[in-house]
Amino acid sequence: MFTLIKLIQSLFGALHSEGTPGQLAAGIVLGAFLGLTPLFNLHNAVVFALLVLLNVSFAGGLLGWALFVPVGFLLDPLFDWIGHSLLLAPSLRGLWTSMYNMPIVPLTNFNNTVVLGSLVFALLAAVPLFLLLRWAVARYRVTVGERVRQSRFYKAVTASKVYNVYKLFRP
Amino acid sequence: MSERLRIFRWRAIGPLLVLFVIAGILWWLFADTIARRESQKVGTQILGAQVEIQKLHLDLRHGKVLINGLTIASPHEAFTNLLQADELVADIDVVPLTEKKLIINRIAANGLRFGTPRATDGRVAATSGDGIAGRVLAETREWASQFQIPVLQLATGKVSIDSLDPRRLSTIPAATALGARADSSHRAWQAAFDSLRLGPTLDSASAALERLRHARATDLAALNEARQAIDRLKRARDRVTSLERNVTQGATILKSGLAGLESARQRDYAFARSLLKLPSLDAPAIGAAVFGPSAIRPFEQVLYYTQLARRYMPPGLLPRASTGPSRVRRAGETVRFPKQRALPAFLVRSAELSFLLQPTSEQPRRYAGRLTGLTSDPALYGRPTAFQASGPQLAAGAMLDHVRAIPVDTAGATLGGITLPAFDVPGVPLKLDPGAATTQLGFTLNGDTIRARFAVRSTNVRWTRDSGFTNSAIGGLIWQAVSGISNLDVEARLSGALQHPDLAVRSNLDQAIASRLRAVLGEQVAAAEKQQRDRVDALINDKVGPVRARVNEVQNQAQAQIAQQRARLDDLQKQLEQRLRELTRIRLP
Repeated sequence: MFTLIKLIQSLFGALHSEGTPGQLAAGIVLGAFLGLTPLFNLHNAVVFALLVLLNVSFAGGLLGWALFVPVGFLLDPLFDWIGHSLLLAPSLRGLWTSMYNMPIVPLTNFNNTVVLGSLVFALLAAVPLFLLLRWAVARYRVTVGERVRQSRFYKAVTASKVYNVYKLFRP
Repeated sequence: MSERLRIFRWRAIGPLLVLFVIAGILWWLFADTIARRESQKVGTQILGAQVEIQKLHLDLRHGKVLINGLTIASPHEAFTNLLQADELVADIDVVPLTEKKLIINRIAANGLRFGTPRATDGRVAATSGDGIAGRVLAETREWASQFQIPVLQLATGKVSIDSLDPRRLSTIPAATALGARADSSHRAWQAAFDSLRLGPTLDSASAALERLRHARATDLAALNEARQAIDRLKRARDRVTSLERNVTQGATILKSGLAGLESARQRDYAFARSLLKLPSLDAPAIGAAVFGPSAIRPFEQVLYYTQLARRYMPPGLLPRASTGPSRVRRAGETVRFPKQRALPAFLVRSAELSFLLQPTSEQPRRYAGRLTGLTSDPALYGRPTAFQASGPQLAAGAMLDHVRAIPVDTAGATLGGITLPAFDVPGVPLKLDPGAATTQLGFTLNGDTIRARFAVRSTNVRWTRDSGFTNSAIGGLIWQAVSGISNLDVEARLSGALQHPDLAVRSNLDQAIASRLRAVLGEQVAAAEKQQRDRVDALINDKVGPVRARVNEVQNQAQAQIAQQRARLDDLQKQLEQRLRELTRIRLP
């Protein structure tokens, strides 16, 4: 229940933050990386660092993460297939062999079919997802955003103490 | 404008660094626990049996790993450990860890103990069947199950007979097929015979003969006609000869079909005999029945570890996929990419082992062993994995040579003075306690060819019998046959292609048990065998008899038809030639 409230708070918080639609979309896209790929991998430390360091919506990142975790689970067979096809492609064997025998790179688990497949999928989906989200957020703010801001439900959600914690990280 | 161009959130660097520092501190605090859990998880996954570690300490600064209380359960036996170790100290190369490669320069293992009991079932592959270990275990079990060793059923002294299912007899379908073949041959021969069109030839020859009878020597037209008729008769006879050849060949095939029916009948007799649940009373079969199941087990276990080694240490440098790490998300497959002149993913350069055998006995014996070159990429390491151990009454060695394309795995061990566990003789409530015995094992798996030998020798065998066996007359006789024998000499040999090797088991008890069984059960077995043969005959004679008659009929009919026509052709030709000779003979005045 707490997670759900937090998710709704994140959603409203992000949609009505002072950040631009681009910042929010970029945050969600970075969060999508965390959700789509298996979490405990080195590349996700980099993604998390980018989420914190870049001037993107951190709440959007959390929202993207929460939204894309189930998508990741659902698409795991597809990621497995993509990763399998890439890792066992004869034309790419030289590249993978070089990467596998470099320092640090193997710690990313790139040689796992699900990790590589999901990462490639996330990279390919990043730009279209960013453009789509930026357009959607802008449309939302222009159309129904102000009415939602005035609603009792929104006021109740944002009045919660958890929202105050969120505000520390808003863009 | 400047606000919109701001890309970095500089004020977040501090908290991020703090976060990373906290993560570092947490890792430092829990590294031992994480490494211990991961080692347990990976070890369990690789071996297919529970791996437990009491304590693990990482000292990366000095490149040392210390493990206390290592327990590895047996993948085959429920409440037995494969080994336990008091302490393992490993010297590792730290730099290759950045490439996710574990290079252990030296391991010192102290206080190794084998076959100790455990409280819980530590088998993982056997219960879950997952992963490489699960698949290998299933394969080796299936491999072992191919050795259909007949089990002695002597507990009651009665010969048990399973019901005979006619569908499992091979003679009936063979007879049906032969009957169909006879019919099709008959049709084919009749068609060939009709296509000879002998009627017109015979009619024209008869007409020519009739004209010739009334002709004179100067009637050249009649003479020519007769000669042409003879030519036609000769050609017709050639065609008949050709057909006869075909019929003879077909008849030979049908005869071999009849012989095949007899072979099928013999096979059915053997099958029906196997339902008696009694092995042959020949000595070698007795050896296989008594000791076969126990002899297969060591081969199965060694094969399991050998096949595991082949999966985890494959030859060559091609990419290798294996099951990925277990996690909430799909594990996927992890592919390794070995590279020439690079380090292997895993390597133990040298391990020194100090171990105890029979640790629970009053005077456990100490042994020393050495393992070298255990690696995940033998082609990169360039040398085979070797193991040797020695000590009082022990000599053991193994070599896993996966450096070349065709792997060769060999193992050999001789162990003396070890008390083997007592085991039940299959099918007989009789227990054999080999006592302190000398055990030998030799095993070679060269590519897909196996050659293995397992032998047990003991001079103080003890036999015990169940109380239920006391009242059995046969039990008493078997007991008399074996109870006085204190020497045991069993040898099992396995050779041939790995998928279907030949197993031969012999022991010094074979002859004694076989002769006693023959004396006691010979008549009963013979009567039961006759009964089974009669049952087989009753089931198949109804099918085989008509088919045999049909084959003979078809064959005789075709041959008679050919003989008859050939006789007519010959007769006409002979008459024509004789008449021609009469007309063309020069008569001197």
